Amino acid sequence: MGNNKYYTPDGFNDTLPGICAFKKDAESKLRRLFSLHGYSEIETPGIEYCDIYTKPSFVKEEELYKMVDQKGRLICARYDGTIPAARFAATLYKDEPLPLRLSYIENMYRFNQSGGGKQSGFTQAGVELMGAAGSDSDAEVIALAIRSALEIGVEDLQISIGQTKFFEGLARQYGLDGESSDKLRTAIAAKDSVMIERTAKEAGLGEDEATMLRMLSEGAGNDMLDEFDSKITDDTARDALLNIREILNVLDEYGYSKYVTVDLGIVSSEGYYTGMIFKGFTYEVGFPIISGGRYDNTVGVFGREMSCVGFSLGLSLAITALGRQERIPEYKGPDVIIGYEGAIPGTRAAALALAEKFRTEGSTVILDSSHMSEEELDEYAASRQIAATFYINMAEEGEE
Amino acid sequence: MLTIALSKGRLADQAIELLEKAGYDCTAAKEKSRKLILEDPKTGLRFILAKPADVPTYVEYGAADLGVVGKDTLLEEGRQLYEVLDLGFGRCRMCVAGPKELKDGALDRIPNKRVGTKYPNITRAYFEGVKKESVEIIKLNGSVELAPLIGLSEVIVDIVESGRTLFENGLDVIETIADISARVVVNRVSMNMKSDEIRPMIEKLREQVEIMNAQKEA
Repeated sequence: MGNNKYYTPDGFNDTLPGICAFKKDAESKLRRLFSLHGYSEIETPGIEYCDIYTKPSFVKEEELYKMVDQKGRLICARYDGTIPAARFAATLYKDEPLPLRLSYIENMYRFNQSGGGKQSGFTQAGVELMGAAGSDSDAEVIALAIRSALEIGVEDLQISIGQTKFFEGLARQYGLDGESSDKLRTAIAAKDSVMIERTAKEAGLGEDEATMLRMLSEGAGNDMLDEFDSKITDDTARDALLNIREILNVLDEYGYSKYVTVDLGIVSSEGYYTGMIFKGFTYEVGFPIISGGRYDNTVGVFGREMSCVGFSLGLSLAITALGRQERIPEYKGPDVIIGYEGAIPGTRAAALALAEKFRTEGSTVILDSSHMSEEELDEYAASRQIAATFYINMAEEGEE
Repeated sequence: MLTIALSKGRLADQAIELLEKAGYDCTAAKEKSRKLILEDPKTGLRFILAKPADVPTYVEYGAADLGVVGKDTLLEEGRQLYEVLDLGFGRCRMCVAGPKELKDGALDRIPNKRVGTKYPNITRAYFEGVKKESVEIIKLNGSVELAPLIGLSEVIVDIVESGRTLFENGLDVIETIADISARVVVNRVSMNMKSDEIRPMIEKLREQVEIMNAQKEA
């Protein structure tokens, strides 16, 4: 074979029968679910100008699969669903009344800096609620994310909700400059208590403030909200807490409280979130399967200001998790295979009729066109896990 | 069941000692054998012994829920992890080192430096990010001190504990990049999905670290 690359590029996989069937079935369920909630599916081309991702630096240039078009302009493979949807809403749909409800189920392509093991091509399903502000819209999207995960069979689900504005307000309350607030945000995201303490000290913060920041990184759980409420004076931070409380109340009405915890320390790798932000986790995969949040300043970049909130479900990742949790049914071949004795006139017609009869009843049927003998047919059926075989060797309907 | 990735060697021994002090039975982990996975169904702990540089990888991908690893490895690997606790042992510094003559600013006067190191990512981040210059990085796998002695590079970036190896070879610390010590890292999903087991463990370890630090100061 020499140097011929007759295999898939690094980070990309074929999807085999079985898993593929499960995945397509999951996609249909999600498509129906999104549609039931009034979200219209769109397809974006899959190739975009790099500018939509890099000009406002939503995404790091190194993470895009890049090519050039005929005029030498940089284009890239679709990195996520949100930015193309934002471009779409601000351009083709610029005169549509708001709010818009859009959904997508598509493949995304990312250079993964970590390398090895993590996929570079994967399918995401998601929605964007565009032109809607407020806690109720936040909750609508979180609820739909939870329902999506449940719909495809992820039962062990945990959603963490944060608010990017909270830290912003807290930083202002503490009078932090840009550099120390950036450092602290990174440290809090990494739950790095050493770094938090050091940076707090460098920024001249007292013991109380440092403790608060540490709590922010370590704490998860809804009772933390009260603790913070009593110590916040900045309006932005206060509004952020109120937003979280309201979201929790709505999710309670949906009956989804058991899936949700507050984690004010979560910070996203996507740079565009401006408010509520959430992640969804399950067992057996080391990465979040759901990621979402509010992005009020993104669509404006493309020419139409609007408040938006959305989420994406990593379908490939979720299916990996379900596989490891042993929740994907074993691969099953077709239900029936029918063969016929070609030398006898009329057998083909009889076989065809029988196949159609089974198909009408909903069974999956192979009508053998390769003229296997009765023995070969049995052997083939056994090796492909086909439950029933029929062999037709007389003109009248006959079976075996 | 919690899976804990340990960096093979002294760091693993120290981590096990600390876990025992914190009340976790680590008999399985102390077993003298060549097994790479040491499991105790009674305590619900499973230990894996990995090469230090691989510990962050195991934890990032969730193959291990948590791990104990040096900050040097974390900086070099740049993985997305929760870095929850400084264990206080395995202390050293990440340094730029070279001939004494390069101290006090002389280093900055060499254009297009060559830097020998086991830590190419840390080196690049430091020279490009902090010192705003590009350097030629020469990746080495051990005895890095040789490089400036034999003219392979002007300086090296390496961890320095006592500095003895450097001094005995006529080298010295020129600049300090970061303080290093052993850290507890946690997978981001495990932190959420297994918080009932992980959070108490971190708290107990933190208490022990505080006791240890207090003893050291006394």
